[in-house]
Amino acid sequence: MNRFYQKSTNDFYTFILLTILSITTLALDHKYKQIDQIRSFISDLIVYPITMISSLPKSMIDDAIRESTNLDALEQEISRLKKENLSLKIKLQELASLRGENIRLRKITRESKVTSNKQTIVKVINSSASPVKRVVVIDKGKNDGIFIGQNVIGTKGLVGQIIETNSLTSKVILITEPSHDTPGEINRTGEKIIVSGSPQDKKLVVNFVSTNSDIQAGDVISTSGAGNRFKPKIPIGKVKNVSNDLDTEFKIVEIEPFEDPKRMPELILIWDYKPKENINE
Amino acid sequence: MNKFLSITGTILVSFILTVSTFPLGSFTPDWTQLFLIYWIIAIPMSIGLFSSWIVGILVDVIMGSTLGINALMFTMVTYLISMIHHIVRYITIFQQSIIIFIVLVIKVTFILWIEAILDINNHGFSIYWTCLTSAILWPVVFYFLRMIRRRYNVTG
Repeated sequence: MNRFYQKSTNDFYTFILLTILSITTLALDHKYKQIDQIRSFISDLIVYPITMISSLPKSMIDDAIRESTNLDALEQEISRLKKENLSLKIKLQELASLRGENIRLRKITRESKVTSNKQTIVKVINSSASPVKRVVVIDKGKNDGIFIGQNVIGTKGLVGQIIETNSLTSKVILITEPSHDTPGEINRTGEKIIVSGSPQDKKLVVNFVSTNSDIQAGDVISTSGAGNRFKPKIPIGKVKNVSNDLDTEFKIVEIEPFEDPKRMPELILIWDYKPKENINE
Repeated sequence: MNKFLSITGTILVSFILTVSTFPLGSFTPDWTQLFLIYWIIAIPMSIGLFSSWIVGILVDVIMGSTLGINALMFTMVTYLISMIHHIVRYITIFQQSIIIFIVLVIKVTFILWIEAILDINNHGFSIYWTCLTSAILWPVVFYFLRMIRRRYNVTG
């Protein structure tokens, strides 16, 4: 009986100690962001291999599907790509002349902003890294110079931004995440809006657009650069549906993003834009 | 040594299960918690509060939550279960599921409280589905781990 009593008191003191320890780590992590090193250390040592192992079945299935694609489809694909390549080459020539003109005009206006063309293609190793948030994990990290707040795009438009970097991997929050807001702008009118994610996968919404605002279905939305978080003029999506909410003074605006990041095997990181402030989640 | 290896191995398996069931959203079962509860019931003298705390920190990193929330909760659940493990050991599996459901509801409520205090809104009330899916999966976890325990002859 005495021994049992001894053990339970010991347990109680351990419990109190660990509770205090947990509260300390909570405070340190939440308020001061001091223990990111521990997090990234554990991430590299344990979470990275686990993610790799758990994504094995999916990548194996993908490989099997790719190998079973028959020859006809491949030939069709090649001819399609050849056509696309040709038209892209023609566009590239136009672009080259435009770039020359642009540089010349920049010199005239004495704007010293140099646009670099450095881009990195990264692979998505886990397309849902959190049960509650739309976060994906990519296979490049601090070792490759990736920084927090870096803009992530696809071939068609904006995808998200980096929120956490470890040595080998980083986490990207997608613009479709409901708690994530993107400063945007209507290309046609130049009106500034704030684009938020929504619970649905392929839908963005704009909250608090007043009823007299000139926004129509078919308008293209791109980033405005307000808040210095995203590089200006990255396309986000197309307005799909605008309707009036009879109960409030606002319009209901639905946007269809150009990218469907949940299904993208590869993403692109851009380097010529550095956000000004630290990111608070 | 057998004991250490099989416990660590199964905990790692639970991590893999957690990561691969993330697409289920709020329905993601609390695999690691279930595995840990099994080991506490089966060999109560071997799984202490410290080891639960460390597992909790690892789960925090995997889930991407604020470091400490899950550590605190795992410690609490271990403490709770080890207090009542004399009872839990000798009731039927169905009754154990109900006990686990109740314990997880308490845990989730605490998580929501802490997040409300810290002003994080990671989870909505839909996270309560976790308790249900975990309780339903308990028999599967139980028989799987008992098989492993008998095969490798793990005793407390």
